[in-house]
Amino acid sequence: METLRRIVGDRHVLTRSSELLVYENDALPGYHKRPSLVVLPGTADEVVAVVRALYAAGLQWVARGAGTGLSGGALADDVVLLGLHRLKKIISVDPIARLAVVEPGVVNANLTKAATPFGLHYAPDPSSQTACTIGGNVAENAGGPHCLKYGVTLNHVQAATVVLPDGEIVKLAVPADHEAALDLMGAFVGSEGCFGVALDVTVRLTPNPEGIRTMLADFSSMDDAARATSAIIAAGILPAALELMDQATIAAVEASVYAAGYPTDCAAVLLVEVDGPECGLDDDAAAIAALCRECGARDVRTARDATDRARLWQGRKKAFGAMGRVASHLAVQDAVVPRTRLAPILARIAEIGTRHGVHVCNVFHAGDGNLHPNVPYNADDPDENARVHSAMKEIMELCIAEGGTISGEHGVGFDKLPYMEKLFPGDSLDAMCRLRDAFDPLRRANPGKVVPSHACREWISAPGFGS
Amino acid sequence: MSASASEAAKRLLPGSELCVHCGFCLQACPTYLALDDENDSPRGRIVLMKAIADGSISTTDTAALEHLDRCLGCRACETACPSGVPYGQLLEATRERLSPERPLPFVARAILWTFARHWALLVAMTGARVLRATGIAKVLSKLPGSSGFGMAMLHSTRRGVHNQPWTPRASGALGTVATLDGCVMEGLFSDVNRATERTLSENGYRLTHATGQRCCGALHAHTGDAATARDLARTNIAAFERSGAEFVAVNSAGCGSMLKEYGHLLHDDGAWHDRAVAFSAKVRDVSELLAVAGPVPGAAIGKRVTYDAPCHLMHGQRVVNPPLAVLGAIEGLNLVPLNDCEQCCGSAGIYNLIEPDVSDRVLAPKLANIAATNAQIVATGNPGCMMQIGAGLARTGSKTVARHPIELLDASYGRRARLGGSS
Repeated sequence: METLRRIVGDRHVLTRSSELLVYENDALPGYHKRPSLVVLPGTADEVVAVVRALYAAGLQWVARGAGTGLSGGALADDVVLLGLHRLKKIISVDPIARLAVVEPGVVNANLTKAATPFGLHYAPDPSSQTACTIGGNVAENAGGPHCLKYGVTLNHVQAATVVLPDGEIVKLAVPADHEAALDLMGAFVGSEGCFGVALDVTVRLTPNPEGIRTMLADFSSMDDAARATSAIIAAGILPAALELMDQATIAAVEASVYAAGYPTDCAAVLLVEVDGPECGLDDDAAAIAALCRECGARDVRTARDATDRARLWQGRKKAFGAMGRVASHLAVQDAVVPRTRLAPILARIAEIGTRHGVHVCNVFHAGDGNLHPNVPYNADDPDENARVHSAMKEIMELCIAEGGTISGEHGVGFDKLPYMEKLFPGDSLDAMCRLRDAFDPLRRANPGKVVPSHACREWISAPGFGS
Repeated sequence: MSASASEAAKRLLPGSELCVHCGFCLQACPTYLALDDENDSPRGRIVLMKAIADGSISTTDTAALEHLDRCLGCRACETACPSGVPYGQLLEATRERLSPERPLPFVARAILWTFARHWALLVAMTGARVLRATGIAKVLSKLPGSSGFGMAMLHSTRRGVHNQPWTPRASGALGTVATLDGCVMEGLFSDVNRATERTLSENGYRLTHATGQRCCGALHAHTGDAATARDLARTNIAAFERSGAEFVAVNSAGCGSMLKEYGHLLHDDGAWHDRAVAFSAKVRDVSELLAVAGPVPGAAIGKRVTYDAPCHLMHGQRVVNPPLAVLGAIEGLNLVPLNDCEQCCGSAGIYNLIEPDVSDRVLAPKLANIAATNAQIVATGNPGCMMQIGAGLARTGSKTVARHPIELLDASYGRRARLGGSS
């Protein structure tokens, strides 16, 4: 601990119990794990020195960005919590190459703000973009509404400097097409803090589109909204974003400072955006409006101007945080299902919720088939807690059975660990463990997350297992 | 946290159960941005306050108290919070709970004691004006540290050129208004109070005075002395009721925010609660009243101005556009946007005197953003902000000055009157 204090300064090593309490959870309030200490380095050199000191001391650790994750991925259960949010420098913005180099603690929205003067933006836009960090986005391979057209974090990361858990510094980069190299950069994105810590990340910036049309369609049934989603994609239109919100979610948002003017008497709304060259944009917008009406939309309106558009998006993006109006805790899932199966799966999810007596609110990336059933509940009521977790388990099993997967963008972390074995056969899990071992043979980084350790044959036989 | 503990937190700290820990407040919080520790963030402090309420952290836990003391109470987290956590109320309730066990710093106690006593306030403000008029404040403002900063704040309230009085057209068509004098406003910014009266008259309000009014009690409520704040609230409610005014006009954002929350402050005072709610419903920031009236356009003043939103106006009262409408009434005003104008300047009542280090860290980016505008004047409608920014600018050698938006509108009206123009 003295070593850590020497590296980062007294104020940035937290050991007092009340201070550790504050770092007990991420944005899933139902889980609490207390770290043994919190260390907050302020520069890349300090991060390297801290990782090396922890390695020398034989200590395990968990990296954390802004703590806005939704899978319990940044929980540190009696191990060291390595906070990276102080590394918030945008090192460079190159408008010609359309690349930016940033430290891991840079807030997603601040990167876009820095790129705006050049007519560029950083495309992956998680709903928490005003708070979450690029480092956390890289770790979780974060998505966002506009990833339907523009791709997820993986598609926007070009290179990174990484400190491995043993303190070695490596440069990772997406291999060029002619290179016969392993895509270690691709392996690192989405590794959920198990492979090391990025000291800097080189990301692609995207030109702002010439034109944007944002539409709000409201429906009197979820089924109609889900069918409209499939119809839009089937028509060959690729919207920039295609989001669905149900009545319960709308009610919470409309009661908040982010009220966007969504109709509160409808069963669901679709928020659909098309962008690109002005030419043809109005045709796409008209086609989408017509498809929505054919599927039963009561009304389709288009954002009048940039302010109106921003308001419609703020409501959508802050919906998750507005759930506190319903109950004090929130369980969130992140399953992805085939888009054509959205309507029947949503109906089954509603049925599961009713059967367990839990309140399912839907707000999700419909265009990707990426569901987010949000269940506001009181985690302090043991009976309700059990019912919520039973319902969540059933929902996840349903999505897997329908040919879906367990996470679109939030990561597996701690929360989805039990579903890994339902989704992947033993050989696949084993391969994941071996890949993890290639980066972190002593298993120092983010212990107990992502891959259930008992599923890994080699881990079980390795010395020190269970320590 | 056990079930019973969480229930206790909900009962003892109503509103805390709304927080789902989403983190959307983090980047809105000046102390989180300045100190980089979640213990100094809204959601982190809510965790601490809940733990103090349910007893899982002791009321003498030095770490927790340090982080709670460092909160500016700017309430920027409230306008970022999708769930509507009443953060300011949680903080005041917690500080009230903690206050019996831990005395405030001497400076804070002296200020609170003075503001609660009319005669002491008059003496103190007279003394301050003497220091200001004799130039002693200016000399002492060169001292390093917080005493020098305090003198720079006082010196910044000096007006080299006073707005010339002019005669407003007083139709009184929009109703009767009683203004809050305000301790610092009447003590050090009496020019602004006179400007407030003239501009309200010009815009169709009939002025009356609420005799017997006192300090609003905001400083007391913010620092945990709720009992004194409630005493002052009852005195003020009675005084303004006697005035018979339809509106209570306030030109100090911090005081206005407090007056609008008397209903909450007296929520468990049976006899007074309804009167407090009725009183609060009449309270308006002066810019709100002027915006409703138009405001009447004024002549050009030829200045480059930027606007900084006082936290207790923007976040506390959610009054965003009316001050811009006030500035917009000045013909051809060169109004340049201020980056991060919604961020606190670090004044926060008497915070800058009791937590000078953090206050300086919060002020630094504000001064840099102001410098980037090249504005001659920063307009901001709160005495604390005017003094904090004014002192910060002066101590960094800037030529930019801080002024109340009403002073600028008044100067504009005065110029129009002298030019003999009509609207």
